[in-house]
Amino acid sequence: MLRAEEVRKEFRTDHTVVAALRGVSLRIEPGEFLSIAGPSGSGKTTLLNLLGCLDAPSSGQIYFDGRPVSGLDRRELARLRRRNIGFVFQTFNLIPVLTAFENVAFALSLLGVERGELRRRTLAILEEVGLAGLERRLPGELSGGQQQRVAVARALVKTPPLVLADEPTANLDSDTGAGILQLMAELNARHRTTFVFSTHDPMVMGFARRLVLLHDGLVSKDERRTS
Amino acid sequence: MKLLLALAWKNLSRYRRRTLITAGALAAGVAVFIWLDGWLAGAERESERNIVWYESGSAKVLPRAALEDLRLLSLKEVIEEPAAVESALQAAGVSAARRAVLAGELFFGEGSLLVKVIALDPASDGRVFRLAETISAGRYLAPDEPGVLLGEWLAQDLGASVGDLVTLRARTRYGAFQTLELQVAGLLNCPNPLVNKGTAFIPLSLADQALELQGAVSELDLGFPERQQPGPRLEAVRARLAGFPGLAVVGWKELAQDYLMIARAKTAGSSLLLVLIFIIAAVGIGNTMLMAVFERVREIGMMRALGLGDGAIRLAFLLEAGGIGLLGTAAGLALGAALNFYMVRWGLNLGAMIGSMDIGYRVHTVFRSAWHPQALIGAPAFGIGASMLISLIPSSRALRLQITDCLRHK
Repeated sequence: MLRAEEVRKEFRTDHTVVAALRGVSLRIEPGEFLSIAGPSGSGKTTLLNLLGCLDAPSSGQIYFDGRPVSGLDRRELARLRRRNIGFVFQTFNLIPVLTAFENVAFALSLLGVERGELRRRTLAILEEVGLAGLERRLPGELSGGQQQRVAVARALVKTPPLVLADEPTANLDSDTGAGILQLMAELNARHRTTFVFSTHDPMVMGFARRLVLLHDGLVSKDERRTS
Repeated sequence: MKLLLALAWKNLSRYRRRTLITAGALAAGVAVFIWLDGWLAGAERESERNIVWYESGSAKVLPRAALEDLRLLSLKEVIEEPAAVESALQAAGVSAARRAVLAGELFFGEGSLLVKVIALDPASDGRVFRLAETISAGRYLAPDEPGVLLGEWLAQDLGASVGDLVTLRARTRYGAFQTLELQVAGLLNCPNPLVNKGTAFIPLSLADQALELQGAVSELDLGFPERQQPGPRLEAVRARLAGFPGLAVVGWKELAQDYLMIARAKTAGSSLLLVLIFIIAAVGIGNTMLMAVFERVREIGMMRALGLGDGAIRLAFLLEAGGIGLLGTAAGLALGAALNFYMVRWGLNLGAMIGSMDIGYRVHTVFRSAWHPQALIGAPAFGIGASMLISLIPSSRALRLQITDCLRHK
């Protein structure tokens, strides 16, 4: 469903050029639970951004469902993300003035889902991530773990084929982080949603069924595991 | 759209203090605009009314030769047979009043003042002018009496009061000096300051004898029912008097060019002030929106990542700024309307401040405002529109950033 071919990404500053990715090729199949791991500066977040069509590669190509995304304009890229990709960010990135329900429903509203169905699906996913009864709370009234659950619910409510999570447990304590990963693994198994998450935490890597290790902008290891 | 509206509404309460301060600045701008605009409109409307009712009538029939310099106030150029002209005017259904206007010097006690002397027919002057309604002491003129009506300020400057004998020195129609002993019959408290401070009124029959007018007058003053647009009626009168080639019909707007120029200049100056007020309000809104956008760059990045388009994000901030504009202009409209209501109903007495000083407007002491619907609609519309437009600048700047840069923003 997602393919990267010889993807390179360079960042230019005033006097220097930094190569964040130096020719990464990767093929991700539907239903995978994949971790992109590596030390800081290895290019994890850059690769995740490229896979999520948030940024464009300096060279190489990303294919989504066999279609190259480099030819798409801003509007088409926004539509592709809206319909096909859910995001979970390290810092949750919830809208502080919206309740948990409204934050999750936001993703469905963008798709123009009818009000009754929007309510039903939002309540269902909030229950699934263990937040039943907390729908009316504002993000500031929730713990870090609960906020990340809202973010996971927001990513999943539109039932996208792909969810990208950038260091989803980095701001959580280990127990809460493990809980979030457990939840993501369950949702992956239940909905067959592809999960790709970046991390440098060995505990997190342990949850992945496929581990892609990056080192200095190159794939150093691509390992499939059996659970 | 509903989602963006709801988001904008919630974001308004996010920075409550900032929203209120910005809306307050806009409210002050709108309120001052409405108040000042209503004041100007009221002063202009009242000035125009006071020019027509007490100074020039709706129009004048004058000897064409006198038009060269109306400020001369000479009896040299006159209408020899006013009755014939009056008949023609009567046929056109227009009321007319005979007047002779000249320059004179009024003496009382040790002092004297140069004045404009208007000789009027007490019986017919009321068809065009409303002087009789402004008598504040004494009485109006009787037809043949050797009496004079003085404006209150003029009487005060001269030191004369009702019953006093004053001496008027003026030139006759043929240029000889004539002196008249007159008793002050009454004082006028006329809303038109020019009348109040520099005009003496005497009976026309007295002037006819003493100044050798022999039935002639210097002008026939016309009263039209309409004030604002006398053009068509003016044209009709001109057509009717085509048989009198030596006469000209001049509307009040042509006669009050000096006032109209001053009024226009004041309106332009005030408009500049109003623009400045709005610029200050606009800078406030711009600053608020800039801070709102800057503080939410990551949020913008997240919304873009989720697939919200650039247009929708711009619209979200446009609606938010429009909300501030709506709050501010609604408060400003209410405050401005309340101030204007007070000014329309009771006005502001500036007599103590301006006294007899000439400020251009033909308004006496109490300045009253008028309702100006264009300002009541235009100011809020402009306030909301400007607020929304200003928000486009910071939101467009944020949208120029890459999504990834937005998400990294601290």
